[in-house]
Amino acid sequence: MFRAVAFTLALFTMTTLPGMAQGWHYVGGDGNAVELDAVPQRIIASQDAAAGLIPLGIRPVGIYADSAVADAKALQGLDLAGIEIIGQAWGEVDIEKAAALEPDLIVAEYWPLESTWSGGDDVVSALAPLAPVTGPEQGASILTLIEDYEALAQSLGADLAAPSIAAEKSAFQAALAEFKAATAAKPDLTALAVWAGADALYVAATAGSSELMDFANWGLDLIDPEVADDRGYWEILSWENADKYQPDLIMVDNRSDATMQTAMAQPTWTLMKAAQAGQVADWPAFWLRNYRVYASELAKLTAAIKAADADLAP
Amino acid sequence: MLIWRPDHRPTSEGGRARAAARLALGLLLLALALFALALISLATGARAIPLENVWAALVAFDPNATEHRIVWDLRLPRTIVGLMVGAALGLAGAVLQGATRNPLADPSILGIHAGASLAVVLGVALLGMTQLSSYVWLAFAGAGLSMLVVYSVASVGRDGATPVKLALAGAAITAVLYAIINAILLTSPRTLDEVRFWQVGSLSGRTVDIALQVAPFLLIGALLALATARLLDGLSMGDDVARAIGQRVGLSRGLAGLAAVVLAGASTAAAGPIAFVGLTVPHVARAIAGPSYRWILPYSMLLAPILLLGADVIGRVIATPGEVQVGIVTAFLGAPVFMALVRRRKLAAL
Repeated sequence: MFRAVAFTLALFTMTTLPGMAQGWHYVGGDGNAVELDAVPQRIIASQDAAAGLIPLGIRPVGIYADSAVADAKALQGLDLAGIEIIGQAWGEVDIEKAAALEPDLIVAEYWPLESTWSGGDDVVSALAPLAPVTGPEQGASILTLIEDYEALAQSLGADLAAPSIAAEKSAFQAALAEFKAATAAKPDLTALAVWAGADALYVAATAGSSELMDFANWGLDLIDPEVADDRGYWEILSWENADKYQPDLIMVDNRSDATMQTAMAQPTWTLMKAAQAGQVADWPAFWLRNYRVYASELAKLTAAIKAADADLAP
Repeated sequence: MLIWRPDHRPTSEGGRARAAARLALGLLLLALALFALALISLATGARAIPLENVWAALVAFDPNATEHRIVWDLRLPRTIVGLMVGAALGLAGAVLQGATRNPLADPSILGIHAGASLAVVLGVALLGMTQLSSYVWLAFAGAGLSMLVVYSVASVGRDGATPVKLALAGAAITAVLYAIINAILLTSPRTLDEVRFWQVGSLSGRTVDIALQVAPFLLIGALLALATARLLDGLSMGDDVARAIGQRVGLSRGLAGLAAVVLAGASTAAAGPIAFVGLTVPHVARAIAGPSYRWILPYSMLLAPILLLGADVIGRVIATPGEVQVGIVTAFLGAPVFMALVRRRKLAAL
């Protein structure tokens, strides 16, 4: 009898107390739970976390970026007014500015392969004394990552049903349906994701990039290279061997406009029939974090797939 | 006029003629070796192309044949740039060593490399330049400007630009420029990422356009450098002796410096700052050809591209499927050879 009462009491406290005390609970991508007495208000976010949270209505007080903000593809098009930029290089953060912001929470992305958070160990050890570090885990899908941001934003007080936020989500769902229809209509079309350097052509492994895994799941036939690089993300081809793979559609990393220029400047770029035929599209490499940009990048790819001749390469 | 030859060279007319014939034959052999190396360079790369197809690409180019395009569009420009840059570096190093009478002189000591590097780094950091072809003019302008600054700094004072003052001014300006370069690279990882391959020195990705851009400068610089041989021979006896035999020391040094900055600036523009070649090759040339710059200059001009192109060919095959930059291979390959040379024979003092 006593045990039953105690159990009921415990259950009651567990379910009601957090709500009553306005506490906050979140399990991060590293598997560790963060418990706070109140819902955190002052958030410092990594550039990727900011790109995930801001469109959902959660505005951080500070952002640390991996590069100059102007070059940070993930942050493009976001309203950053009033948000302090406390880092503009990989692995660097201004600890004094960060402390002055008096953060309640640091939101970053967990990198399972490296067992660290966005920005790397140096940034984490600089910020962790100020507030708990948490956030979603990078994984096999950008869509899953965005859904993780939705859950996190909701716990932080975001209203996901707000018309503008809901509209972006439904626009994405429409773009996704279009993409799936386009790939289904051209089952023979093959694609290759690349980064072009002056020294070599880097061919991306599908499993090294969340959005490529999404595209593959949604019906795009991506050619997987033989990865010799020990980091497992790329096959490095001398420009003499640029025609090792013959896709129908080439996707070029669009983090920097220079990549496409570099590719076009190589005499052997057009050894790929798809390059010769202009069947080249953008690969939004590693930077998609919200429905709005995902929808617009998917729409561009869908258009390229629809326009492409799927019988270009054997 | 025995003072012209204060060394062990044969003094009889017959002996001198025999020595000249021997040296001329040596030049011919080096030229043949260089030609053979150029052919090897055309036949070597990440993709295995049969020799007969390489030959066919050269004599009967077919724009639809993939292998022909690779030989023609990638290997030929790369080989030509390697030959030009190598010859320019060798000449520039020899001319600078002669003009400054400093055995350690090379294009990096007078601020040429540092100036070119800073110009490229600034262009990437501030103007957002990313393409090799846009680096060429920047590097060239930077090299010329820093050489001018070094020369003006060294010219201050009663004696004008003496060799010691040139070397010191060059070292000081180089230190300042590298401090600025490092400050920019440390605070801008994007810039570091763009220029790191360029900074090592590389022949990969060089197209015909780049060769054509720098070719006129290299030609003018080479002619000017070869024309200074007699002046350098005069300077090598010391400024006082050179003046005593009627040579205008300041003018000689200025002409030689101009030739060196045009050569080194253009070669840096084409292939990035390659340090080792300009320093060591003239010593090898001197060990073979004796102290006269009329022989040292042509020997340097042929030996340096042999080192550079040979290193590039090796760099292409030792790390397949990738490549090792020529700047790294020249240092790895050249340093032991140079050390062996230093140990085996007493290098000629300048």
